[in-house]
Amino acid sequence: MTVSQEASNYDEVSMQKSMLFSDGLKDLKNLRMQLYSAAEYFELSYTTDNKKKIVVETLKDYAVKALVNTIDHLGSVTYKVNDFIDEKVDEVSDTELRVSCIEQRLRMCQDYMDHEGRSQQSLVIDTPKFHKRYILPAGENLTTTNLEKLKYFGSSLEDADDWNQIQNAIRATIRETPPRPIRKSTSQTPPPRQPPQRSATFSFTSNTPKNEQAKRSASPNRFPLLRSGSFVTRKSTSISRPTTPSKSRAITPIRYPSEPRRSASVRVAFEKENQKETEQQQPSKSKRLLKALLSRRKTKKDENLYTFLDEY
Amino acid sequence: MAKAGGITNAVNVGIAVQADWENREFISHISLNVRRLFEFLVQFESTTKSKLASLNEKLDLLERRLEMLEVQVSTATANPSLFAT
Repeated sequence: MTVSQEASNYDEVSMQKSMLFSDGLKDLKNLRMQLYSAAEYFELSYTTDNKKKIVVETLKDYAVKALVNTIDHLGSVTYKVNDFIDEKVDEVSDTELRVSCIEQRLRMCQDYMDHEGRSQQSLVIDTPKFHKRYILPAGENLTTTNLEKLKYFGSSLEDADDWNQIQNAIRATIRETPPRPIRKSTSQTPPPRQPPQRSATFSFTSNTPKNEQAKRSASPNRFPLLRSGSFVTRKSTSISRPTTPSKSRAITPIRYPSEPRRSASVRVAFEKENQKETEQQQPSKSKRLLKALLSRRKTKKDENLYTFLDEY
Repeated sequence: MAKAGGITNAVNVGIAVQADWENREFISHISLNVRRLFEFLVQFESTTKSKLASLNEKLDLLERRLEMLEVQVSTATANPSLFAT
């Protein structure tokens, strides 16, 4: 009931407004006709009547009243026109808002439909699954601590056997890949003439017995990993081979093709350290050699040994 | 007598001139107000025209948007399989 009453009231108000507007427009039209007729009457009376002064005074009064009345009518009509136009503009803006709301709803519906279709299609497609890859940073070995770390980070490889398999695979790749030319050293001293690595190993293995050679071939430190260029490993290798005859071999470590390159300052410091170690090891080597010779020859020919020692 | 007649004539002329100036002043006032009314009407016409033009543009745009919405809704209702989950 209230809605219908409000609607009826709104209709009545709008009807009254429209009636007033139409009355004002009609008055303006009648005013124009009245002004024309009044002008004709005053013209005739001024020409025919003798009392011209009275006619002029009445004409003045009428003109003033007509002007004021016209301005009032025009003001009311213009106000109504302005109000009507503003009302229509507001209605249009409201309608634009409603249309934009409908568009937004429709866009949301369309997006929802697209999303649903995409989800349906994505359920149908089988995405390929790839295994994880683990790349060790430069200068780290595959030690047990690293293994524990990798386990902690959630690796699927839990046993050391798997890591041994990986190491074997990497070794195979190292054997297959041709070595790059060795980088020139940046030290001021001329580099010692280094024989090829094959010959160096050959000379070393020729002195060692066969059992030891077999052990070394099986040991994992003989073929270090690609990223095993740390100081600790190099020191250990140089210390584990005290019987190396050539000095250059101890000074210049073996570089693998995929070994990460270091700065020149680090490398020079490392070489100096190695030189110091070799210098310290030289007298101990000679002593060991002498002791070994003594122990061997004592049993066979003591006399010859004593003469050799005297000569030495 | 002649002097008196001349003075009265001069007075009459003076009164007539004053009345004429008063009439002229009245006419100038009326014409000024009519001009102001005319200027107001011209300004009102221009503003009303611009307002009507903007309203017309808005209505055109609204009409196009409504037509587009109508087409979209009609296509959506024509394919009920799109709404099937």
